[in-house]
This record gives sequence, structure tokens and C-alpha cells, in this order.
Amino acid sequence: MAEESTMDDRGLDATASVEHPASVGGSSPENVEAVPTPPAVQHAQPEVRYNWKDITQDFLTSCEELELGELMHDANFGLFEAMSAIEMMDPKMDAGMLGNRGDREVLNFQQAIQKGTVKLKDLTAPELIGIIDTMLSSMVTWLEGHSLAQTVFTCLYLHDPEVIEDRCMRAVALGVLKLVDLIKNNVNRASVFEEEDFQTMTYGFKLAGNVTDVRVTGMLREVEDEINRKVKSTRCKQGEERDPQTELEHEQNVALQSRMKFCRLLLTALIAFNKPQCSGVTDGKRLLIQAGELLEVMKKTVHHGAHPDETATPDFPIIMGFEPLVNQRLLPPTFPRYTKIIGREAAMEYFQGLLNRLGQVCEVVNISSIHTVLDFFIEFSKASPCVLSRSLLQVLAVSTDRKVFGTLPFREALREAVRAFNYPPALIPRSYVFNNPQAKEYVDAFLSRAVRPFSNLLQIHGHNRARQRDKLGHILEDLSSLQDEADKVDAALHSMMIKVDPQRQHLACFGTWVLYHILRIMIQYLLSGLELELYSTHEYQYVFWYLYEFLYGWLLSTLSRAEAMYQEHDAYMEQQKGGSKKKSKKKKKGRPPSKEIVLGQAEQSLCGGYYKAIQGFYLDERLKKPVFEFDNEQVRYEHRFAPFASIVTPPLVPYSQFQDMVALEKFSPPLQPADFYVQACKCFQQAKNIYESFPNQTKEVQTLCKVAKTNFVVVKLLLGGHKRESKSPPEWDFTEHNTFPIIRLT
Amino acid sequence: MASLSSGGTYADIKRKFKFDTDTSTQESEGRQKLRSWLNKSLRVSMTDGRTLIGVFLCTDRDKNVILGSCQEYIQDPDNTSGEDPRVLGLAMVPGHHILKIEYDDITANQIM
Repeated sequence: MAEESTMDDRGLDATASVEHPASVGGSSPENVEAVPTPPAVQHAQPEVRYNWKDITQDFLTSCEELELGELMHDANFGLFEAMSAIEMMDPKMDAGMLGNRGDREVLNFQQAIQKGTVKLKDLTAPELIGIIDTMLSSMVTWLEGHSLAQTVFTCLYLHDPEVIEDRCMRAVALGVLKLVDLIKNNVNRASVFEEEDFQTMTYGFKLAGNVTDVRVTGMLREVEDEINRKVKSTRCKQGEERDPQTELEHEQNVALQSRMKFCRLLLTALIAFNKPQCSGVTDGKRLLIQAGELLEVMKKTVHHGAHPDETATPDFPIIMGFEPLVNQRLLPPTFPRYTKIIGREAAMEYFQGLLNRLGQVCEVVNISSIHTVLDFFIEFSKASPCVLSRSLLQVLAVSTDRKVFGTLPFREALREAVRAFNYPPALIPRSYVFNNPQAKEYVDAFLSRAVRPFSNLLQIHGHNRARQRDKLGHILEDLSSLQDEADKVDAALHSMMIKVDPQRQHLACFGTWVLYHILRIMIQYLLSGLELELYSTHEYQYVFWYLYEFLYGWLLSTLSRAEAMYQEHDAYMEQQKGGSKKKSKKKKKGRPPSKEIVLGQAEQSLCGGYYKAIQGFYLDERLKKPVFEFDNEQVRYEHRFAPFASIVTPPLVPYSQFQDMVALEKFSPPLQPADFYVQACKCFQQAKNIYESFPNQTKEVQTLCKVAKTNFVVVKLLLGGHKRESKSPPEWDFTEHNTFPIIRLT
Repeated sequence: MASLSSGGTYADIKRKFKFDTDTSTQESEGRQKLRSWLNKSLRVSMTDGRTLIGVFLCTDRDKNVILGSCQEYIQDPDNTSGEDPRVLGLAMVPGHHILKIEYDDITANQIM
């Protein structure tokens, strides 16, 4: 018993996250710590008695005896364990260090009230403005991935809003707590964050759970009206000279009012977004626009707020009501991150960006099909949006009960998606297999089976870019088994159909649809490696080769097959209908995947251009294969395409095939660099032509067009002998487009 | 160990790479002292006024000290104001930040 209580006191219990290996070893420290405690003391409060003996000199001189690099340690403690220790006094690792600049006493809220260092009533306007701005700054810092304890909860007022007497301060404090709660809940619900994105720990702080949302927004509005009256009373009346004092007061009240209103609008907007079945999105969007207008006023009035002495604590604003170290004790024992609170203007810029992103997110509810939702997700993610906007997108579109927009069951959405993709007879009313109960069962089972991988796929696109790549690689395994299932269902349906109607086929209908998604993921996976700058330049060749020769080729043929199926279906329907074939020869629906085919061709040509150009560069000795010391090209190749191994169709292309492809010895007469430059030129030109004639000139299309055009010119110059003699490697310029580079000759 | 034919070589290698733990016979006095403190509680005062209490696990020539199950106290540890320590876990204190090292002498405690 005595031993147990002593142990707990010294923090050697299970909560200490880093267990040092010595405690499992023979000479356990438990024995060492077993200090006999007098029973009387034990009953009152278990207390540890130490008997400290100064050994500083002894210790230091003993250390001198050790040799350079020699470690004095127990058998159970090695370099590996030593590596995981946090280093004290290292500003990045040691969060406690912050507390020791200057001899400031750290007071918690209660202590600060007692000492009178925080005001509970009659806060002046500059004080309020300063506090609100700092709260917003710390909220942004939290949203960027820091812990609540080191950001939002450094504001003492938030620790216990109940005791605040100032109505304005109290309303804002409750509003901010509600905001934190809502944001945290949404991010948790969407679960598209990783530890680098977001910290959900609340450290036991109360997030105004005892007050309703309506009450908080009501309080904010009341205070807002009150300030509004002050604004009106100090407003410049016609023909009246205002004294500077009134004018200042007026400006301060305007500043304060805009902040109060901003908090209220943001809060109401978030509440609206969480209404079931996306019913509040229109309201939410309107509120966001209003909030955005207020931000302009707020940005202009930042100077009215009380400002901290920035020279003393450059990374942390200390004004009344804030204490950066108040939660030092709550920080996790693991790697405490060093937190720098973002500036006030920068925070407002962040909110501006956030509002824009949320505005974009609202657009998702206008989409009806799951394929378009997926495209929307991919497009939205390209700008690397913040965790809150990513989460809200998920919450709005898919997060509720496996339903799309909270209304349409996911399975039905998928059924619709397959139908629109290639019109499998099994999904077409009036066809035999549509009405056959057995066939229906097969189809339903398959679609139910597809729900999980596809909802995962949507969720993956909510993650940050780097994590997406990783997760895309993994989801291929799930899709591989779905592909297997699809083939089985197709075969079963086909044999059923062929019995009734020998002319109609049901071959690879669901299979094509799954294959289409698999190929898209594979392409995305490879391209994201370029975006994330994972590949070395000497790896570009096989990456572009794989894309050009295989993935895009497969994708295009898959899309054309889908189109052929659609036409087959069309023809069949005509036939069924009989005579009236004149009018619907050119249906309104048109050819659904055509846009994708065209863009796919363009990207294929781009990749082809790079691949050929690189081939030329190697032959020209502008590029050289590095001498690998610890690996070789094959290892790298296999690693790069490893996730593709789980997929049956298309099969993984072995390294040997790549080697065959780039081995030029077999050609006679031997190929010249120019031969490849000519081909590259053609590829880039083709891409350029496609982009130029593409009807929908989005920004993306224009950028890619520029890339293709520039590369075309560069390779053309190269052909013409420009910088021919130079042997320095070409540069890959990703500034224009983050995936498809511009080649620059040096 | 000496009876093993290859034992001698093995011991040599072990000593060379400083993995040998059974060297009390040849170890220098300083090493022996350090070893006697291993796995005992140490209290280390740092240059910035903080005090760490933890289990001594490892040190080197530059007096860098690694403490296990380490707790951080901001106030003066002798002033038992009931300050809650912060749990740090495994922590390394660079030698040049160490002001004072104390060792929890249990033998004396037991006598008491």
C-alpha cells in the first residue's frame, strides 16, 4: 500500500506515456522508490519524502571520465530509447521553456480576479476589441493544428464565463466557446483530419454546454443592439462639429459592433450548416456573405484594440485576460509543440479565406450525382483547403448515415451513378434482368458491397493532400475485391440474359464502372507524387511512361467502352420503340463521358511529351542516371508502383518491360536524340491543340494549355539546335502547374 | 565466460562497443559512481530555474542527462506549495543547462 501511493505520487503510474525500459529490467526502480512512509502521514495525504543529497560536483567529474561518444546507461536502455527523449531547452520541443522569460507570475482566472489583474466589469472598448481580436487570432492558430490549451484557452475569460459581469465580454466568451464546440464537433464528425491538421483535445474545459445556442446568439444580439445605439448616438449629425473624443468613441463602437456581429453570424452560419438534410445551407451561405462584409470593417479597425507589448513576447500576445502559460500543466507529456499565435491582421485574412472556402462548400448541395460530387471533392481539395472547410464539405455531402446530402441512401446514389455511366441492362427498367428477382438480388448485393469503398473514397478526398496519396494507395486493395465481385455479377447476369434474349449482352458492365474508378485513382496516385515533390528527377521517366503508355490508355479505352455501351443501349431502346427513330437520333443527353475522354487524351499527350523528351535528354547526355549506392532503379520502380500490385486489371507492368522500352541498342540505325524530340514535339502540340479547342476554358484548361504550348516551343527550339551543346540538365518548373511542369533549358 | 572458447573475443567486442554491463571489476571509479546512480531518482536544477525530478537513465561525457518518468516543477521544489508538476516522460537535459544535481539517498531514509 505504502509502495502504491508513493508510486502514484511520483507519476510513475500508467499515465506516464513514455515508459522507460529500465522499469522492466532486473533492477527495478520500484524497489528504489519504496520509501517507508509513516502511517500517520499516509492517512492524511500520501506524501513522498525525499532525501536529496547534492552530487553535482561528483557527478560532473565522473562524467569527465567517459570517453567521447560513450554512454553510461543500464543494459535495458540504449541509444534507441535515448532518441525518443524530448530535449529540454530546445524551443521546438520544450514547451515549458516559454514560461521562463522574465519573472512573470502565472495566475489562473480565480487568482487573477483576486489580484485584480483582470476586470470582470466595465471593460473599455479598446480592451474589448483587443480581447476579441486576440481570441480570434488564437482560434485561427488552433484551426491550424495547435492545441486548444495553448491557443484559445489562454484567454482566462473563457475558463468561466459565468463570473464575467460585463455583458459584452460574457456574450463574446460564450459565443467563442460555442464556436469552438461546433467546429470541434464538425471536424470530429467528418473525421478527415490527422494529428498534423487538428487537435481535438479539450483538456476538460467546458464549452458552454449548459447554455443553448439560441440563448448565446440572443445574448450576442442584445449586446450588439446596445452598442448599435451607442454608434447611433455618436454618429456625425448634419452640420454639427464633432469633438475628437466623440469621433473616437464612434469608431470604437463601430469596431466593437462589427466584431460582435461577426461572431454571431459565424456561429449562426455553423449552426445552420448542421441542420439535417442540408436544409440550412442557403441561410448559412447568406450569413457567410454578411460576415465577410464585416471582416472588411474589422480589418480596418484592428488598431483600436489594446495591443500587447510585442517586444517582450513576440510570439505571444499578452494583454489583459490572456495568460499564455496558464495551461502549461495540461500540456501532453508527448512532444509539446511550440505555439506562435498568429497576428491579428493575418487572422482576419484567414477568416476571409475560410469564408470563401465555406462559400464554395455550399455549392456542393446543388449537385445531384455521386460522380459529380466526387469530382467536386477532387477539385475542392486541389487548393489544399483548411481542415474546417474540408470537414464541413464532408458533413454536408455524405457524413450523415451513409446518405448523400442526408436524404438519398448511398446505395441508390451509386445505382444512379452506374446507370448514368454505362446503362447496364440490369439497371434499365423494362429489360429482362431488371425485373428478374434473382438478378435484382445480385445487383443489390453488389451495390451494397460498393457502398463502403465508395464512401471511403469520398472521405479520402477530404483529407490533406499528403495523406490522400497514402490512402488512395490503400483503397486500391478494397476496389480490387470489388472488381472481382463486379466480374462475377456481370457473368451471372449475362448468362441469365443470353437465355432470354441472345442478342443482348451483359458483359463487363459493372466491371467497366469499377475499372474506371480504379484507373482514375491510379492516375491520381501517380500525379500526386509529382505534386508532392516525391519523385527525384531521374524517376520522372518511368512515371510519365507508365501514365502515357498504360494508365491513360486504359482509361481512354474504358471510357470509350462505356460510351459504346451507352450507344448500344440507345440503339436497343430505339429498336424497342420501333418506328419513331427519326426524332431521337441525336438525343439531348449527348455522350456523357466525352469531355473526360478529350481531357484524358490531352493529359496522355502531355505525359507522352515528357516521356519522349526525357528519353531524348538521356540520349543527349543532358540527363544521367545517378549511380545508386544503396538502391537501384528497379527497387525504386517497384516501390513507386507497389500499390498497383493489388489490382488484377490492369496488371502491374514489370520493371523488365520498362527496361526493354528504353533500351535503344536494338535499333539500327541507332536513334538520335532528335528522333525523340520530334515525337515529344508532336505530343505537346497535340495536347496544346486539344486544350485550345476545348469548349469549356476553365482556369485549369488554360494553365495546362500554357504548359503544353511552352513545352512545345522549348522542345522545338531544342530541335532547332538551341543550347544544343549544353550538357546541363533541364529544369522542371512547377510554378505554373503543380503537376505538369514546364521544361526549362539551361 | 572465459571458459567458452569464443567467449574472450565476444567479451572484447562487447567492451569495445561499450555494451558490457558486467565490468565492475575494471571500471574506473567515476564510472562506478555513475553506475550506482542509474535507475535512482535524481533532481536536476536547470539554468532557467526549473527543476526536474526523474529516474536517471543515461549520461555521457558532455553531462547530458536523460531522466525517465520525468516531472517538471517551475517553482522552487523546496517550497512545498503543492505545485502540480507537469509530466514530461522521457527527457534529456543538455549538460550546459544543468546547475545542480541531487540524488535521493534512500539508505539514509531507511535509517531514519
